[in-house]
Amino acid sequence: MRSAALTDEALRAPVNVTWEITEACNLSCRHCLSADLRAEQRGELTFETCRRIVDDLAAADVFQINFGGGEPFLRDDFLDLLTYAQVKGITTCVSTNGTLLDDDLVGRLAVMPGLFLQVSLDGATSATNDAIRGAGTFTRILEGVDCLRRHAVRDFSLNMVVTRVNVPEVGEFADLAARLGAKARLSRFRPSGAGCATWEDFRLTSSQLLGLSEFLGEHTEILTGDSFFSLTPESRRRMGLTMCGAARMTMAVAPDGSVYPCAFLTDPAFLAGSAAADSPVAVFRESEVFARLRNSDNAACSGCSRFSSCHGGCPAVAYFVARSLDAGDPECLMAALGAGV
Amino acid sequence: MVPGAVRVRPEDFGLLFYDTRTTNLTFVRSGEQLAVASGAPGEERELLLAGGDGRREATARLLQTLQEKGLIRAIGGTD
Repeated sequence: MRSAALTDEALRAPVNVTWEITEACNLSCRHCLSADLRAEQRGELTFETCRRIVDDLAAADVFQINFGGGEPFLRDDFLDLLTYAQVKGITTCVSTNGTLLDDDLVGRLAVMPGLFLQVSLDGATSATNDAIRGAGTFTRILEGVDCLRRHAVRDFSLNMVVTRVNVPEVGEFADLAARLGAKARLSRFRPSGAGCATWEDFRLTSSQLLGLSEFLGEHTEILTGDSFFSLTPESRRRMGLTMCGAARMTMAVAPDGSVYPCAFLTDPAFLAGSAAADSPVAVFRESEVFARLRNSDNAACSGCSRFSSCHGGCPAVAYFVARSLDAGDPECLMAALGAGV
Repeated sequence: MVPGAVRVRPEDFGLLFYDTRTTNLTFVRSGEQLAVASGAPGEERELLLAGGDGRREATARLLQTLQEKGLIRAIGGTD
C-alpha cells in the first residue's frame, strides 16, 4: 500500500471504516479498547439506520468495512447487515473473539463472498491468553478456529494484541497460526478503553519494542494492519503505511453512531459527528476534528531522521501520554534505541 | 479492463485501486490521464485513456505496471 498520496491531499471518502456494531460482549478482556463505550451504555443503532449508513458508504465507493464490537456475532441482525454490505459491493472484515463460532454460524459465513475473519487470540498458550481474555477462552477460541477449518474457511487470521506479557510468545504464536491454517496478525496495544487502566502493566519495554521490530523485519509474512509503522524496520517499509491513516484513509463508528477518526481515539475531544444523524462520509470530508488530525504536523518529531518512516507514529498513544497530537508517539523505534537497551 | 475483483475510484490525484482479493491499495498519480467507466460492484469496468501523444510513453509504462499487479487486463485477456 503506497501512502505518498496521503501526505498532501485528502481523499474523497475513507478507504475503510471501522464499525463497532455492538456494545455487547461475552468476554471482558483486560486491554479491550471498547470497554469504556460499553460501560456508558449509549445504545445501538437500529438495523434501518445501519442500512442507511451502508448505503452512504457504498455510494461514496468506500471499499471496506471492518466490523468489530463488542462481539459482533452477539447482535441478532448482524449477518443480515453483513450480507447487505456485501451485496453493495463492500468488502467486509469481522473481528471476533471466536467463542461463538459453531457449525451453524460458520456454515453461513463460509458461503459469504468478500468476507475476511479476524479471530482474537492473545497468546500461544492457554496460561498467557487466558490471563488476558479470561479463563477457558484459549480452548474455546481454538474450538472456533477448528470449526472454521472444518468448513474450509480460508480467509481468516489469528490476531494477537502484543503486550508485555505475551510478546515473548510471538514466534510460537506465528507457528500456531500456521499449523491452524491461519494468517498470523499482530496488532498494537494502545491506551484506549480498558487499556488506559492496564497501560503500564501491558505496554512494551524498550528492549521488547526493539525485539519486536527485529522480529517483524525477519517475518514479513506476518500481518500487522499497519499498526506498527512507528517500529517499521527497513525490510517492511514498502509493505504498508508510513503514517497514521486516521482521518486520512479511515474513520470509526461507535455502536451508537458516534464518529471518530479512529477506534482508539474516542476521547470526547475527537467526537466528529453522528452517523445516525448525518452522512458519515460528509463527516469524513467536513469535520473540523478530522481536519485537525490531518493537519497535525507532529512538531516534536519533524526533525527526526525516521520521520518519513512514521510521521510521528500513533496519535492515540501520543494524546494519551501527553494530551497533545503534536507530542509524537513515545513508543517509536528511535525512543527505544535512545533508551540504551 | 478493470477486473471485477478490483475496485477503483477517482481521486484528485488520479485513481485509487483496491484489490478485493488481497485488500491491497494502489495509489496512481495519473491526474486526468486515466478514468474508469461506471459499473456495478463486481462487474468488469473499462479503463479510459485521455488523449495526448506527449504522455503516451508514460501512460504505457503505467498500464504495464497496473497489468503486472493484476489491477487491469488487456481486452481479450483473462483475469
